[in-house]
Amino acid sequence: MDFTFLIGQALTNGLIIGLLYLLMAIGFTLVFGVMRVVNFAHGEFYMLGAFSAYVCVTKLALPFLAAVLATFVLTLILGWLIEVVVMKGFRGDELNGMIATIGLAMILQNGALMVFGPDPQSMPAVAEGVLALGPVMVPMSRLYVVAFSIVVLIVLYVFLMHSKGGRALRAVVQDIEIANAQGIRSQLMYPLGFGIGVALAAVAGALMAPVFSVSPSIGSTPLLKAFIVVILGGLGSIPGAALAALLLGVFESVANTFMSSSFSDMLLFGFVILMLIFRPAGLLGKAGR
Amino acid sequence: MNASPATHSRNESQGVPTTTSQPTKNAIKGGRWSTWIPGLLVLFALPLLLAGNPFYIHLAVLICLNIIFVNGLALINRTGQLSFCHAAFMGMGAFVAVICTTRFHTPFFISVIAGVIASMLIAFLLGAVILRLQGVYFVLVTFCFGELTRLVLLEGGDLTGGANGIANIPPASLFGFTFDSKLSFYCLAAVCAFLSVVLLIALFKTPKGNSLDAVGDNPDLAEASGISIQGSQMFAFVLGSAFAGFAGALLAHYLGFVSPESFNQHISVAAIIMLVIGGRGSVLGPILGALIMTPLPELFRSAIETQNIMYGITLILVLKFLPMGLVGIGAKRFGKGGK
Repeated sequence: MDFTFLIGQALTNGLIIGLLYLLMAIGFTLVFGVMRVVNFAHGEFYMLGAFSAYVCVTKLALPFLAAVLATFVLTLILGWLIEVVVMKGFRGDELNGMIATIGLAMILQNGALMVFGPDPQSMPAVAEGVLALGPVMVPMSRLYVVAFSIVVLIVLYVFLMHSKGGRALRAVVQDIEIANAQGIRSQLMYPLGFGIGVALAAVAGALMAPVFSVSPSIGSTPLLKAFIVVILGGLGSIPGAALAALLLGVFESVANTFMSSSFSDMLLFGFVILMLIFRPAGLLGKAGR
Repeated sequence: MNASPATHSRNESQGVPTTTSQPTKNAIKGGRWSTWIPGLLVLFALPLLLAGNPFYIHLAVLICLNIIFVNGLALINRTGQLSFCHAAFMGMGAFVAVICTTRFHTPFFISVIAGVIASMLIAFLLGAVILRLQGVYFVLVTFCFGELTRLVLLEGGDLTGGANGIANIPPASLFGFTFDSKLSFYCLAAVCAFLSVVLLIALFKTPKGNSLDAVGDNPDLAEASGISIQGSQMFAFVLGSAFAGFAGALLAHYLGFVSPESFNQHISVAAIIMLVIGGRGSVLGPILGALIMTPLPELFRSAIETQNIMYGITLILVLKFLPMGLVGIGAKRFGKGGK
């Protein structure tokens, strides 16, 4: 095993995982920005997205691209409905909203257990073959993940920056009263923000479904990683989240080449706490309190 | 932070309760000692009537330990923070006490004190780092810290026994008496739970307790009245975590084994659920929460998914319609608004 090869491999894998953490974290940030609610059910939407892709591909024989699109649309609708039915009473209520999402997470996870059972399922890889980038080997299936993630991020960026709905959404995140005064219907923005946020988590889950196995308990790790990304990046800072997610992915991949994953997790948590002592607002975040 | 209304009809700093038509988060104040003490004594004596059935006594022990555990969380929550690593402190108390007992053969009493002190010390250090943060960050970081603690216990090698934990813990003993039967341990657990409740009632009758509530109700107003937000939250966090460590140390000596998985995030979340369903902002809430939510999983082992879905729905409904928990029903009915 050549050392540069190992590092190159770890870096590549790290960037791939980092992109997924980024999808998770941006969705999480979006939900928080609009609702002011820490979404503990975010990992469950990742899990639902993975199951959605699994069902679309193995049971309905859809192509993977269609499965990802269907997942996005379905979870957007599901998130919209959940927001209107469940979360409506907790808009802007940080503490109670957060506890409500714990209840939501329990419902979703155990619902998946009832429908799919506890055993891990696997689905076929998206593509065969390996791409050689110099000494580094990248499985084609993972390249798909990268391509899709980047496309999703670009579409999201264009939507938020250049569309009417995206601008309205950002206005609500910045200052809801002013947004209302400008004629933005914030009543629609709450379910829209929640829907898009959880749909991003679901897309991350759908993209990872062919790579990892799918079971009702897979949501907890991505949730924890999303937490770490927003702590490191500063809650509400998208560039901070992007930096933190890619760094986190690379760190994990490199660290897992040399040590057990639980030990690298311990190092990571230690780093998070250290950073909070010196930079409480996150890497690029604005000062907190 | 909670968005409590700016109009406050209670004189916080003096702790003079006045009846309000619109109850704030902490509208239910501790009643009189003459009601509390007999009530609690009767409550904790009830399981003795079921002494013939070891399973019921086992449940009663778990309820008592959960009362202590959730009391700690309630104390932290009354200053407006919600800890997501309450189980981690329970685990710390348990493991430190057990390591003292099994490695250094210290008496039970000393082991428990060591476990509690360890929890308090870690809570103090963690609190110093994270209590500067906004409410949301506090939640995220405590969640991560809970995971970190579990990993440390898991990777602890010989000291913590790794994933298997530590077994063959000798039973608790005090002054030469060994609590080796369920019933005798129940008596110990009941006394400890009773004392933890009495401690909370007493605390919330003092100005110190009122200042904790004030910080939870309206931090800006409290700070303007000269109460230190961070100081109050630190006090509550350290003392509340001590409760958790104490419950953990007792639990380990009751069950006779500990493992890191007994203190994972699910336990922290279970404590939050007990607190919310029982009722925040009152001493009765944690008791009610533990009393109702502890036996349920034990009684419905077969239909665990259905039961968890019901939990989730109940939690959301309680949040929507009973923001003060089940205690709120009684308070509404008997008009105990201000007392």
